[in-house]
Amino acid sequence: MPYYPETTVIQGLARVIRERRLPPQSIPRLTPGTLVGSHVEAVGVVLQGDLLRDYRILDVAAAFRLRRSEADQGAELIQVSEGQRVQLGQELARRGRGRRGKVLSSPVEGLVVRIEGSLIFIQVSERALEVLAKMPGEIEVVESHKVKITSNGAVLQCAWGNGRYSYSVFKFVPEDGFVGLSKLDPRISDYRGVVIVSPQPLNKGDLMVAQQQEAAGVVAPSMSSNLREFAMQLTFPVMLTEGFGRRRPSPLIYRLLADNVKRQAAFDAVIPDPWSWDRPEIVIPLPAGGVLPPTPALDRALKVGARVLVTRAPWEGLIGEVVELPESPQVVDSGLRVPSARVRLSNERVGLVPLANLELLG
Amino acid sequence: MAFEHVNSFLVGDIGNVHTRLVLIDLVEGQYRLIASARAHTTAQPPLGNVSLGLDHAAQNITSLIGRELVSEDSDQLFLTPESGGHGVDMFVATGSAGRPMRVFLVGLTPEVSIISGRRMLAGSYVTVTDVLCPDDLRSEEEQINAILSGEPDMILIVGGTDEGADDILLDLAQKVERALSLIKRGTMPSVLFAGNKALRRQVKELLGEHTSVFVAKNVRPAFGDEQLFPAQIELALVYDDYRSKSPGGFDEIGRYSQVGVVPTTQGYISAVRYLCELPGRGIGPLCIDVGSANSAIVAGVHREPHYLIRTDLGVGHNAVGALQAVTPEKLQRWLPFDAAVDDLWDYMYNKQLRPGTVPGTPEELMVEQALAREIVRLLVAEARPAWNVAVGDELLPEFRPIIAAGAILTEAQHPGISAMLLLDALQPTGQVELRLDPHNLVSALGVVAYLRPIVTVQAFEAGGLVNLGTAFCPLGHIRRGRDAMRVQVRLPDGQVLKRIVRSGDIWVASVLPGVTVDVTVRLARGLTIDGRRRIRRRVVSGAAGLIFDARGRPLIMPRPKERAVRFTEWQMAVMGRERRARLETEAEPLPSMDDLLVEAEPLSDLEQEQETGDAVLS
Repeated sequence: MPYYPETTVIQGLARVIRERRLPPQSIPRLTPGTLVGSHVEAVGVVLQGDLLRDYRILDVAAAFRLRRSEADQGAELIQVSEGQRVQLGQELARRGRGRRGKVLSSPVEGLVVRIEGSLIFIQVSERALEVLAKMPGEIEVVESHKVKITSNGAVLQCAWGNGRYSYSVFKFVPEDGFVGLSKLDPRISDYRGVVIVSPQPLNKGDLMVAQQQEAAGVVAPSMSSNLREFAMQLTFPVMLTEGFGRRRPSPLIYRLLADNVKRQAAFDAVIPDPWSWDRPEIVIPLPAGGVLPPTPALDRALKVGARVLVTRAPWEGLIGEVVELPESPQVVDSGLRVPSARVRLSNERVGLVPLANLELLG
Repeated sequence: MAFEHVNSFLVGDIGNVHTRLVLIDLVEGQYRLIASARAHTTAQPPLGNVSLGLDHAAQNITSLIGRELVSEDSDQLFLTPESGGHGVDMFVATGSAGRPMRVFLVGLTPEVSIISGRRMLAGSYVTVTDVLCPDDLRSEEEQINAILSGEPDMILIVGGTDEGADDILLDLAQKVERALSLIKRGTMPSVLFAGNKALRRQVKELLGEHTSVFVAKNVRPAFGDEQLFPAQIELALVYDDYRSKSPGGFDEIGRYSQVGVVPTTQGYISAVRYLCELPGRGIGPLCIDVGSANSAIVAGVHREPHYLIRTDLGVGHNAVGALQAVTPEKLQRWLPFDAAVDDLWDYMYNKQLRPGTVPGTPEELMVEQALAREIVRLLVAEARPAWNVAVGDELLPEFRPIIAAGAILTEAQHPGISAMLLLDALQPTGQVELRLDPHNLVSALGVVAYLRPIVTVQAFEAGGLVNLGTAFCPLGHIRRGRDAMRVQVRLPDGQVLKRIVRSGDIWVASVLPGVTVDVTVRLARGLTIDGRRRIRRRVVSGAAGLIFDARGRPLIMPRPKERAVRFTEWQMAVMGRERRARLETEAEPLPSMDDLLVEAEPLSDLEQEQETGDAVLS
């Protein structure tokens, strides 16, 4: 019976296709330079828009103190129409002319969404939005709320991120770790503006050192979950490749990072959401060398010979190769009888792992 | 529509982690569960299409029984109708996968219509974003922002009796109309109207130009009359509509399914309605479902289903929320090893990152099972007031049977552990019948009951559930270590198993599943079952054997320093490995199995004792 596991993409060179979107409730604006076939830089803006939130109701009749019998006239005094953008202080309605005329000005910047009698409904502009390309590449598709960008490079999907983004050079933490880093003068430190990669779990002190050194980000296998709130307040990306607690680093990820050290990379520390597509990931742009690299496959059935990542104890983080797929469920270390695979792990040991705890390497 | 020609049903249940399929067909004039299978749910990206998971599960059934189910035709998912031993007459779907539906609730009075509205919603996977009623002190601007800021998927309007005043409710509907008219981008919420029937046409005309308006019977047709079921049926249609608009390919499944995609718990509620009608002891059935993102309890109390769904409690997608709700300290009570609070949080955060994974070590399994126990306890505590049954604060009314669903409860390492999880979490008293529903058959049959009730009745009678067995759980306490239960189990071949179960212990009589035995239990002073100290019952043994739980009720948790030993003893006992456990933990030799297996005593002696009511243990 075929089994379709989740896929984690860890590839040295792949064709990367990513969508960038505006929230559905935002109003898109024309973004100069966002054209099909054009090249974008990682920090280039590909989509612009306004995020609208709350509504304001303005009663023209009440504002001009019209008598009840005159209330119907309020509608005639309105100077704006539905669908019109208004600026803060812009004239919405006027009664009378000249210096003695009265004006109702917009108390907010926003969009007139409805006019009903003498009532004007304005949806307030909460903030302007700018969506970055997040990786250098070529724009393939442009729609009102989304663009599709393609690029070539190494891709490493991670377990958790703090919601920040950075496009920067990355380096491994010095041998004496963050303690050694703390002794450097931030003004002349090589780590200033650089994403720091550590193969050791993080603690709060490490994050504070990274902050003090004005690092552009931190990548590590894991940290205690009680540091989440602190990490979310930092302005630079914090990315965990494995998860929370003290997790061992996945050798494949750190080898790939070591092979590309001092290159620029996109660190997109998306906060994982079980109901969305997005996963935190590192994209290291690389030249394809004239040959179009493959796009990671995401819907393959598990087969003997497949390379897999073990996601749970006792071998979490280890990469292995499926050597056998027993027909019937097997009793595994936890005592559960579940569909399982025999996996030859990177330490040459063959272990029985529940299928649910395996992810295919894309 | 008549469904007399329909003989076979394929019911798919799409959960957040697992997609289950059950095939029910007519065998020798009776509907039975033929086969079931499970696959990973494929609602989430990158696959993003639930029909793939259903396809995988159907392939699994085909490989089990050789019956082809999947259609090669691109415009149908399954081969319908059944022909030549392949295919199926009808496919229906239930689902709990995905984000819960956000609902804004509008009603006339907080004490009456709003409460009925909330009760009605409690049977589905919803989150109430906010409430609006006439005595709301917010300005109109604030009220409109309240309606729209929660980005509801549905607006429920309830209120007014069928002959009651209508102006105020109409005024509220106009506020809703004004709010809907302002939505220019994003998702337009559907409206479900279940209020004063005199306003149906007006509300539909008023709101229908903006969105889909569903109309149901009034949840409060008269002040003292609450009718939730018709509105729940309509809510299921709204849910199907919502799901079909959500990503994941639910629209396709909704088209193939005869009833759209019905919320899984709606199936449970419907099934419990039927189970309540079946003859049996106790006040009615109890269904517990602990899932990855949602957990639900549906109780049949005096022939009426009572239900509670928590869309923030689960052992996968909502593991962190569940730990927040139950607290790590309560979890630690169920762990026979020291687990630091920080480690428990780390574990739940990791589980939430990968909710489809299973525990990799025995310790991890115990953590998840501890969480499941506490989720069930929380559900019972919150649902109990609505049952309105007078038992002690800590005690469970006499529900029979108790049915558990959700992989954490149904797929433990041993049936005995599943039984213990239920006994620990629910702490039932008396004679308790425990069932497992690993295929979500109860929900499936509940939905099929909408179409052909006879299928539901016959499939339940044919025993589609896993019979875990019967547990005897005395009420009361005596000092630990004293003789609590004197048990005699008479096997069909005349052999008798005898055992004295000490206070604080569990004993499982190793009887093969499906064997009917006569059980006699004599209890020590201070303990009772059904108010008596001596009972005699004929019961059928289940997968976990026959369980005699002499730990007392309410259950007193072992002190931390004893926890490891006691939990290990209990676990070993329910798995039928009591002897080894005892020998590891106690020096005192136990009688061998040969000592326990003795010649049958004449039945008349027992009957005589029962009649005289002599205290056997004092």
